[in-house]
Amino acid sequence: MSGPVAVAVERLSKVWPDGIRALDDVSLEVREGEFLAVLGLSGSGKSTLLRCINRLVDPTEGKISIFGRDVTSAEGAGLRALRREAGMIFQQFNLVKRHSVRDNVLSGALGRTGTLRSLFLLFSEADRAEAQACLDRVGMGDRGDSRADALSGGQQQRVAIARALMQRPKLILADEPVASLDPALRNSVMRHVEALNREEGITVICSLHDLDLMKRYATRAVALREGKLVHEGKPEDFDLATLKSIYGQEAEFGFEAAS
Amino acid sequence: MKRAAPAPPSLGARGLALLVDALLLATFLLMGEFLGRALVFPVQEGTLRTAQEILERLHYAVLSATGLALAVAWHAAGRLLGGTPGLSFAGALPPEEAEVSWNLTLRGWFTLLFVELTFFTGWLVTEVDLGTFFTNFDKAAGVIRGLMHPSGTVLFEGLILLIQTLFLAFMATAFAIPPAFLLAFAAARNLTRESPAAKFVYTGLRTAMNLTRAVEPLVWALVFISWVGIGPFAGVLALWVHSVASLVKLYSEQIESIDRGPMDAIKATGAGTLQVLRYGVVPQVIPPFLSFTIYRWDINVRMSTIIGFVGGGGIGYILKPRVDLGEWGEVGTLVLLIAVAVWVMDLVSARIRERIV
Repeated sequence: MSGPVAVAVERLSKVWPDGIRALDDVSLEVREGEFLAVLGLSGSGKSTLLRCINRLVDPTEGKISIFGRDVTSAEGAGLRALRREAGMIFQQFNLVKRHSVRDNVLSGALGRTGTLRSLFLLFSEADRAEAQACLDRVGMGDRGDSRADALSGGQQQRVAIARALMQRPKLILADEPVASLDPALRNSVMRHVEALNREEGITVICSLHDLDLMKRYATRAVALREGKLVHEGKPEDFDLATLKSIYGQEAEFGFEAAS
Repeated sequence: MKRAAPAPPSLGARGLALLVDALLLATFLLMGEFLGRALVFPVQEGTLRTAQEILERLHYAVLSATGLALAVAWHAAGRLLGGTPGLSFAGALPPEEAEVSWNLTLRGWFTLLFVELTFFTGWLVTEVDLGTFFTNFDKAAGVIRGLMHPSGTVLFEGLILLIQTLFLAFMATAFAIPPAFLLAFAAARNLTRESPAAKFVYTGLRTAMNLTRAVEPLVWALVFISWVGIGPFAGVLALWVHSVASLVKLYSEQIESIDRGPMDAIKATGAGTLQVLRYGVVPQVIPPFLSFTIYRWDINVRMSTIIGFVGGGGIGYILKPRVDLGEWGEVGTLVLLIAVAVWVMDLVSARIRERIV
């Protein structure tokens, strides 16, 4: 891959106040249009890495820039402008449960809506039309009036994708987007993320722990272990020996018997 | 992930522990002397008669100094005697000691003994007298008979004032909602972690609200009666102050227990602080806020009776003179009216709160 750099992470470390070192000197570069999978055990720092990129978490050391603009030193309005570039999708969907599906999608436009208007949920007609288009895109166009907590997990995650899309992002940070979904529904959600990547050219950084999903959707993958970047390569480079070095020697993999 | 070794107790925690231990041991010794005097020199004409007289004779200075000395000694000999109750209170016990069952520690037995000593000392200090309690009932019988035979003469006036009481409590609650709602966000720990200024506001606000709440509504009533004069408005203001303080506490605790996820998601869209609060926090807290507010109205109805006693309007206002004059039949009517109102409020508010959450 050799497009312009979308995300550059340089020597990033995060130490929590209780002394836990969640990220330890991580450097990586993501090019525009890539679908980067981030692998690793729970607690290996995947989620912290993603949250450092849009500064939901403040890094302890190191520097991050997205599309050439420094995130680490951004504050106030500048930081909010950078966050608008990066839509985020969460393992627990994180919809506003008591709001309608439509209002949840509209909240993706908060970054470009005046504060006073948004306090009363007054969005423009253009925003409403755009929200409907985002919902149609994830196949939820007829559920705009439902309350968010009335939907199934897979449907909620699709609404969350529509909310991220409403931001008109150039980057999507997906933090274990399918980990709390039924395995049968995982591909239906992943395909929507993939579509944004392929059709809109949105760069995707997606933490995953399912190796099959990584091989199917990612264009490149990195692996974290105890906060350190331990492996980087094409999905097909992750052979048994590599995986054992990421997940530990006791780990077992479904394809082991076959290979 | 690597976890750093737990930090040794700070100097502040050690100081607090020593202070608590000194107070506990001094109190222990003082209660010991009190009981000793009461038992060794039993009540006699001319010597010791009441608990108050014993309390006047205790060796406060000597025993406090001894308590402090014992506390210091226990701290110094901690290896031999185990951690002190003060260390446990300050949360500064070494982890291996905190896991030991209480009956294997000196501090456990000390605590048990302390509680028992408190009970026996309390028995004497409050002059508990079961004999009179069981034999003197006939003096109260008149009052109870009056209460059981309510008189109809104050029924109408009572009803009118009961309605005033309900409105009084309602207005106090309604006026309390806007300030409590706004202050609650600044008094929630999870929203005030980011900057030192916010932390300062949090601590100041929490302290001010705790102090306000610690002052009884009865005292606030006295303040406002001299401010706006006797009448229901003084009662509204008294209950209002107390309601604001207590709603801020209830509201902010609710804010502290919200799911952080939606807040993060709204923040990630590039939303500003007010937008994050409006979308990420408010929808989660509205139902419990409503529930607390109705509960507060319920409490205010109960409290307004007492407020009325000192001139804060409502049904308590006509109850007081009848108690003073011993018109037990009329008192009975008013008490019955209050009881029914409180009971109905309780039922209704419980039902509404059930429906909301």
